[in-house]
Amino acid sequence: MTDQLHVRPGIETSTSPAADKHALAGRVRRVGALHQAERTLRSMRAYGAVILFSSVSQPIMYILAMGLGLGVLVGDGGDFAQYGASSYLMYIGPAILASTVAMSAGIEFTFPVMEGFKWRRLYYGAQASPLSPGQIASGHILAVSVRFAVHAAIFTVVLALFGAVSSPWAVLQIGSALLGGLAIGLPIMAYVSTLRDEKGQMSLIQRFVIMPLFLFSGTFYPLTNLPGFLQVIGWFSPIWHANELGRVLAFSQPTPAWMILVHVLYLLGITAGGWLITVRIFSRRLGLEEWRGRTPGAKADARRQTRMAARDGADVERSAAERSSADRSAPERGASDRSAPERGERPASDSAATLPRIVFRRGFAANYYSGNIRAVFGRGLTAIRNNRGVIFLSGLLEPVLFLTSFGLGISPMIASVDAEQVGLGGGGTISYAAFIAPALLAVSAMNGAIFDSTWNVFFKLKITKLYRTMMSTSLGPVDVAVGEIALALFRGGIYALGFLGVLMIGGLVDPLAAVLMFFAALFIALGFASVGMAVTSFLSRFQQMDWMMMVLIPMFLFSATLFPISVYPAGVQVVIQALPLWHGVELMRDIAFWDFGALTLVHIGYYLVMTVIGLSVTTYRMKKLFLR
Amino acid sequence: MNLSFILPDDTGANIAPKDEPSAPSTLHLMPVEHAIRATGLTKRYGDFTAVDGIDFTVNRGESFGLLGPNGAGKSTTMRMIAAVAARSGGTMEVAGLDPEQNGPEVRALLGVIPQQDNLDEELSVRENIIMYGRYFGLPRRWLNTKTEELLEFAQLTHKATSRVEDLSGGMKRRLTIARALVNEPEILLLDEPTTGLDPQARHILWDRLFRLREAGTTLVLTTHHMDEAEQLCERLIVVDQGRIMAEGSPAALIREHSTREVLELRFGLDRNQEQAEQLSTLLDAADASGSIGFSHVEVLPDRLLVYAASAESALERIHAAGLRPITSLVRRSSLEDVFLRLTGRSLVD
Repeated sequence: MTDQLHVRPGIETSTSPAADKHALAGRVRRVGALHQAERTLRSMRAYGAVILFSSVSQPIMYILAMGLGLGVLVGDGGDFAQYGASSYLMYIGPAILASTVAMSAGIEFTFPVMEGFKWRRLYYGAQASPLSPGQIASGHILAVSVRFAVHAAIFTVVLALFGAVSSPWAVLQIGSALLGGLAIGLPIMAYVSTLRDEKGQMSLIQRFVIMPLFLFSGTFYPLTNLPGFLQVIGWFSPIWHANELGRVLAFSQPTPAWMILVHVLYLLGITAGGWLITVRIFSRRLGLEEWRGRTPGAKADARRQTRMAARDGADVERSAAERSSADRSAPERGASDRSAPERGERPASDSAATLPRIVFRRGFAANYYSGNIRAVFGRGLTAIRNNRGVIFLSGLLEPVLFLTSFGLGISPMIASVDAEQVGLGGGGTISYAAFIAPALLAVSAMNGAIFDSTWNVFFKLKITKLYRTMMSTSLGPVDVAVGEIALALFRGGIYALGFLGVLMIGGLVDPLAAVLMFFAALFIALGFASVGMAVTSFLSRFQQMDWMMMVLIPMFLFSATLFPISVYPAGVQVVIQALPLWHGVELMRDIAFWDFGALTLVHIGYYLVMTVIGLSVTTYRMKKLFLR
Repeated sequence: MNLSFILPDDTGANIAPKDEPSAPSTLHLMPVEHAIRATGLTKRYGDFTAVDGIDFTVNRGESFGLLGPNGAGKSTTMRMIAAVAARSGGTMEVAGLDPEQNGPEVRALLGVIPQQDNLDEELSVRENIIMYGRYFGLPRRWLNTKTEELLEFAQLTHKATSRVEDLSGGMKRRLTIARALVNEPEILLLDEPTTGLDPQARHILWDRLFRLREAGTTLVLTTHHMDEAEQLCERLIVVDQGRIMAEGSPAALIREHSTREVLELRFGLDRNQEQAEQLSTLLDAADASGSIGFSHVEVLPDRLLVYAASAESALERIHAAGLRPITSLVRRSSLEDVFLRLTGRSLVD
């Protein structure tokens, strides 16, 4: 009789797997990490198509672009037999595998962790189950490892199909690439899990860690091609160790045994250390261990807040000063104040001046555009001011790094580029660095614009819902769209200025061309920002952003950036010429080498069309999203 | 309601921004007696009808409530008023303007307080208000003064330079309200203004809303909290499944649709239904004498509600008949009972 009181009607206690709480807890204690891994993998399944597609297409793209395309330029210049490879393609194959894994480590160990702790607080949900914080961390790592392994396996198969491996040991590349990805990803994960909020640290990691490590790890050329001080980066880079290990496995690159041991131990050491630290930080953060009075990032936060407060205070003082001086100097305004009709009593407004007229334009499309783009732009500037300056400036770094890496690293293999071959008049030859410099400016304009108009816009659209707030004021969708694009251009403009400065110092462009190239960079950025924002307005989750990368990477690789498209058959050339970046790169080169023609107009026209279409679609979508 | 603060006058012309693009024009409002008027208002999302042809009018200076459970169509209605949702049918006038045709113009008259605080986390508390004012095209200098006032009003002056993240829930809510007041709105739209706040924060907020009402601002609020509706609304409509179930002042609605008092009884989960029938017969018979004013019995999953003018006498009768409820409670009728009576369902699920 008393027993029955504990039985809820309708549930047969004896058969419910949830009945024995002790057994349940014990099981979770043993294999809890697997449960968390399962959850992560299930959520990855939603974008499994992207993962599979990228795993298949990435190797093919890199093989076609770098292996075959750049390979034509490199030709016999680099003697890869001494490394055991029979071609340039074979030489870079394993390195590209390791690099692509490292790149996606930069995504998989950053955003999902931020999502777990802050944006969607998934980890706190998991913590309410018997899972321990350490298991939550390990589960994520395991799931990502599975993703890497699948990627590496597919990649290796594709390499083998292209005849770019010569040793059966190549299968073990899966392990070396995975290890490389974890070695670079886990320290990052440990860092990200200490963050209280995302203030651009993700792009800092991308630009100051992943990018340099990727570019100076001997991926596209032997590390020894670089000057000594840059080789140091490679020695510390897990990517370099994974690259070298992969080369040993894929085509038996002659390497002393102790060196192989160093590679393995280095990668294992960082992975193990990173894993332990991550688990520890998760345990602390999720509250199982005392913080010992220290919150990571708290000091930096306090400093920033003091700075903001100081600036804010100055603003108030300034406005107070303005006010008092205005009061003194404007007796006639006081007179009109008195003659104004009596105002209704409003709360706490006894001291305030009358509300100024809320002014906006009427007439054509007044419902879409209220004539107040400045406010949206101004808000963006204030937000940039509140963030760390270094994040803003880090965008400068990328093109400079590319130029340094390829200019210094590839140049020993390519003496010079034939002007005829790259479609420039006048004959003669140009240096490889001068050849890629204008292209890199175009690429950096594209990247900056795309970053601002996709990641940042997506964030304000879906996560912080800033646009929704804006749309509850008298702003129209066009104000918001154009204001955001203007902000992207502002940022892009500053980056372009910086890079052009570097190019001028390096003697790679002359001042007159540089001025024109600056405007061309803004123009290219405008086109990409418009289209990027239009595309972003259709996305509903972060992972769809991967599709965007699917388009950007091949565009970067094929659009005559690092080698002329004349290395390809005519059919392929036509496809490349249809892509926007090719027009941007060619436009830049036309200006840099002062070689204008009818095609220059086509390039300009292409971007005009892009801008118009992008802006129209964006406006339409903004209206759809916010005025439903 | 005095409109002078949005009518053009010399003062305004002096402060108005000078570099505004192309042919600026101002609001020329004819005084319209209705702040908001909707007729046959309908909103469909595909096959689903969120708002099903409702008519209502909000007078100037009134505080008006939309009361209903989740998914009743309250928020959708608010979004149509705020010119951020297109109608599927019917007409809507806000201060005499059609929100769909004059989106920015209508929104310039409104202060919108959404269900969830969507404050700008990249800005400080003060910057949040200033930037929001900038979205209305208000001049920065004027905003600097106005912001100080609003911070005071929201009791946030000491937090002016803090990051939004560091504010408590109640503070965030007050900042959202302060921010919505920056354009001195004629009509304030509040979507569940106190959901998720603790009682103290909620009372501070109510106090601020009272002051606004005193000052003549038209308040339109949605809520599923009965006490909030009773506190804040002069008039309200009860909405369920996109339709209006009743309309009137809280007191009138209670008078019309419920008895003065309610007796809540618990007999234990499985006995409620059979007890209900027994109680009905018992009280019907007892009420012949007229002292109880018995109306009916509602059966809820966990308890019985006995509607009677005098719940105390009803309870005496029940005890006298030898029935022993586990718990009993006598209380006054509330809007909750009105809702239950009208829809057969309780409001908060």
